[in-house]
Amino acid sequence: MDILGSFALLLAFLAAVYAVLAGTVGIITRRTLLTKSARNAGMAVFVLVTIAVACLEYFFFTNDFSIVYVVEHSNRALPGFYKFAALWAGQEGSLLFWSWLLSIYAFLVLFLNRKRHPELMPYVGVVLAGIQTFFLTLNNFVATPFRVLAGPDGAGVMHLAKMSEGHGLTPLLQYPEMVIHPPMLYLGYTGFSVPFAFALAALLGRYPGEKWIHITRRWTMIAWCFQSIGILLGAHWAYAMLGWGGYWAWDPVENASLLPWITGTAFLHSVMMQEKRGMMKIWNVWLVFTTFMLCILGTMLTRSGVVSSVHAFAQSSIGSWFVGFLIITFVVCFAAYWKNRDYLRSDNQLDSLVSRESSFLFNNLILLAACFAVLWGTLFPVLSEWVQGSKISVGAPFFNKVNVPIALFLLLLTGVGPLLAWRKTSFDALKRNFAWPFGGGLIAGIIGFLWGFRDIYSLLCLILGVFVTLTIASEFFRGARVISARDGTNIFTSMGELTMRNTRRYGGYVIHFGMVLIFIGIAGTPFNKDLQKEMGVGESLRIGPYTIMCQTFDHLDNANYESDRATLEVFKNGKSDMLLFPERRLFHASQVTETMVAIQSSPLRDLYVVYAGRSPEDGKPVIHAYLLPLIKWIWFGGIVVVLGTGLALLPNRRTALVLRPATERSWADTLAEATPAIGAVARRVEGHD
Amino acid sequence: MIKTRTNEREPQKFLSRCPQSRFSASSALIFAFRAVTLAAVLAISAASPARAQETPRGKALGKRVLCMCGGCEDSAGLCNHPGGTFSGPCETARGMQKDLDAHVTRGESDDQILQAMVEQYGPTVLVEPPKKGFDLLAWIMPVAVPLLALVLVWAVVRRWRHNATLAPAGGPQVSAEFLARAQQESGKEPGSEHNE
Repeated sequence: MDILGSFALLLAFLAAVYAVLAGTVGIITRRTLLTKSARNAGMAVFVLVTIAVACLEYFFFTNDFSIVYVVEHSNRALPGFYKFAALWAGQEGSLLFWSWLLSIYAFLVLFLNRKRHPELMPYVGVVLAGIQTFFLTLNNFVATPFRVLAGPDGAGVMHLAKMSEGHGLTPLLQYPEMVIHPPMLYLGYTGFSVPFAFALAALLGRYPGEKWIHITRRWTMIAWCFQSIGILLGAHWAYAMLGWGGYWAWDPVENASLLPWITGTAFLHSVMMQEKRGMMKIWNVWLVFTTFMLCILGTMLTRSGVVSSVHAFAQSSIGSWFVGFLIITFVVCFAAYWKNRDYLRSDNQLDSLVSRESSFLFNNLILLAACFAVLWGTLFPVLSEWVQGSKISVGAPFFNKVNVPIALFLLLLTGVGPLLAWRKTSFDALKRNFAWPFGGGLIAGIIGFLWGFRDIYSLLCLILGVFVTLTIASEFFRGARVISARDGTNIFTSMGELTMRNTRRYGGYVIHFGMVLIFIGIAGTPFNKDLQKEMGVGESLRIGPYTIMCQTFDHLDNANYESDRATLEVFKNGKSDMLLFPERRLFHASQVTETMVAIQSSPLRDLYVVYAGRSPEDGKPVIHAYLLPLIKWIWFGGIVVVLGTGLALLPNRRTALVLRPATERSWADTLAEATPAIGAVARRVEGHD
Repeated sequence: MIKTRTNEREPQKFLSRCPQSRFSASSALIFAFRAVTLAAVLAISAASPARAQETPRGKALGKRVLCMCGGCEDSAGLCNHPGGTFSGPCETARGMQKDLDAHVTRGESDDQILQAMVEQYGPTVLVEPPKKGFDLLAWIMPVAVPLLALVLVWAVVRRWRHNATLAPAGGPQVSAEFLARAQQESGKEPGSEHNE
């Protein structure tokens, strides 16, 4: 099986190389047969990489400890879904996983567009196959997941070896989100390859118009959504798993995942300038190039050990491969841009400074400023060491100081931007649109201040959050009122109707609202409290309105781990409120201890209790209690963002018929050809029937 | 956000962790016994435990210096070893916190104390880059680059507005067909004044 896996990977590599070469030659010589063959090779990569992934999973599930990767990341007692997830637990496997996700995207893109955009798709195929080639090079020749255990005997002859038991999966990874957080993040990272490939293809092929933006809008949103989910799940994982009462540490690897998300967000906004007004064509192309390069940079930071990070991946020389790939990518992008820059000439006009256009300009300015600040802080230790010879630290306080003002300004724009009209907004319209939301924000600020929001940034965040929410609500309300007056429906039905007619716009508002919730959640941070205390049975500690009393301690044991557990009774205002069971586990296979945090979550605050272990001084159990206000809003906001994205991905209810150019085939039609049954449903969904 | 914190370099040597030993009731007993004897020794050498001395200023300063144990990447004040033997401040962090409190009780200023820490541990001990010399750039750039970008945006806006005034007075040329479609759509689309 390891031979099958290795062989499939090698074939995949050859197929990808063929797709690049044949595709290029096909484009140059204009031979349709060759470009078709290149496309099929690109799609075959998916099948081959899938075989390799299936082989590795097979080794995990059959406990084949002759494979180094399996030995290092699994053991017999590991539950099945963690065995499945062990695929992406280490360097080699996660790179294979990356390749696989990329091949899935590439397959879908090539398959769904196989009869569309005949001028554009060959280029797209070549770019995607080029990216795939790089990752398959790593899979085959740098970090192969199918390395077998072997050792020399006395005569120096190598023999295959097999272990009876593996080292087990790092306990920190043994948490349900492990199964879902890395795939989401990787789907985000790899997903940005699609708009990148289309942008580069459109530039290389001098494909006219804004078509690449129309084609990739959904792809970009899907990648963005996965990236958002990945980041938030990671934050939740850190929060629920690590027992430090936080969710974001501005660690280089966390920052690396944030960077492409920020530029991706900027891209999703600035493409509207090109779609509606034909502006900012050069900017958009470079924004999507940058996003892709930041994805590669992020992958590199995670794996190379360039910056010190607590995130686990063995330090290796793999970084130089990524640097090489980044340089090649940049050179290709720049050459394509330079050669075809005349094709990007935009019709840039701005009628008024108070307009939607300028709000998008500022939106991009602020987002890029945030991106730069994060990147600068992340890489500054490297720069400082290079210039001065001594390393310095750039910790979380730096990032907070620099980014919080930027983020608040962005929040303000979230409220202002959507209410400005394209081209020009009159002063009267400004007053009409903003008076109520702004007043509401101020009132909320006063109430918040009296209620204890005594931190300037938190207070500003509250005011702006309410302001943005009210502007969004007024948008829904005003639109719905027009419909309800005309159709005679009630206001809520009208709101649904309104939303379904322009899902992109109103889905966007829902996403904005989700972001507001996340911001409010973050604004609770200055009011965190924590207390660490040695506690015997019957002793108690007080934190905020809670009194925590220690009932008993017990010890559990099973095949995977054994644990120490405390049973704590929590009293609120003198009344018994709940029981909490914070726990510390010791995993047998890896001999690593892990905290299982007990969290009592409510919209207002989380009570977060950690069994810290035995005191190094006197062996007494130590309980660390945290009171963390508003955390839950972050996770709830994340759900709203995802729902909003889903909404924005839906096709518009009626306008789809009017706006869709007759020449362009819909995705439903394409699907219908493949599988008539699904296609019929898809057509209905899309509004063709 | 895989925060795998191995604490191989964590200097809790007195616990004499042996990689093969399993955590069981008997080892826990031995462990507790050792810890108790150790605590007794500590109690003789230092009259009061480290935590009792913590001053508010010392606590604030603890968040401005990194724990130098090499395994946690946290500040001394927030040091917490989630995957470690004890998820709380490690010995290094507690030692540093103690030092800070000693400096505070001697009445030194924050700058003096941080300077003393830099002399003892080197510049990496500071959580934030110092605001002088080359490291000042770390602080200047995140402000300067957006300001520069703002100037650029401003220049771009001016040029675009110039383009707008050069455009024909009647606005862009539109066909009658397009106008009809636009009217039809705006009739359908409420709030079209700021429609996307």
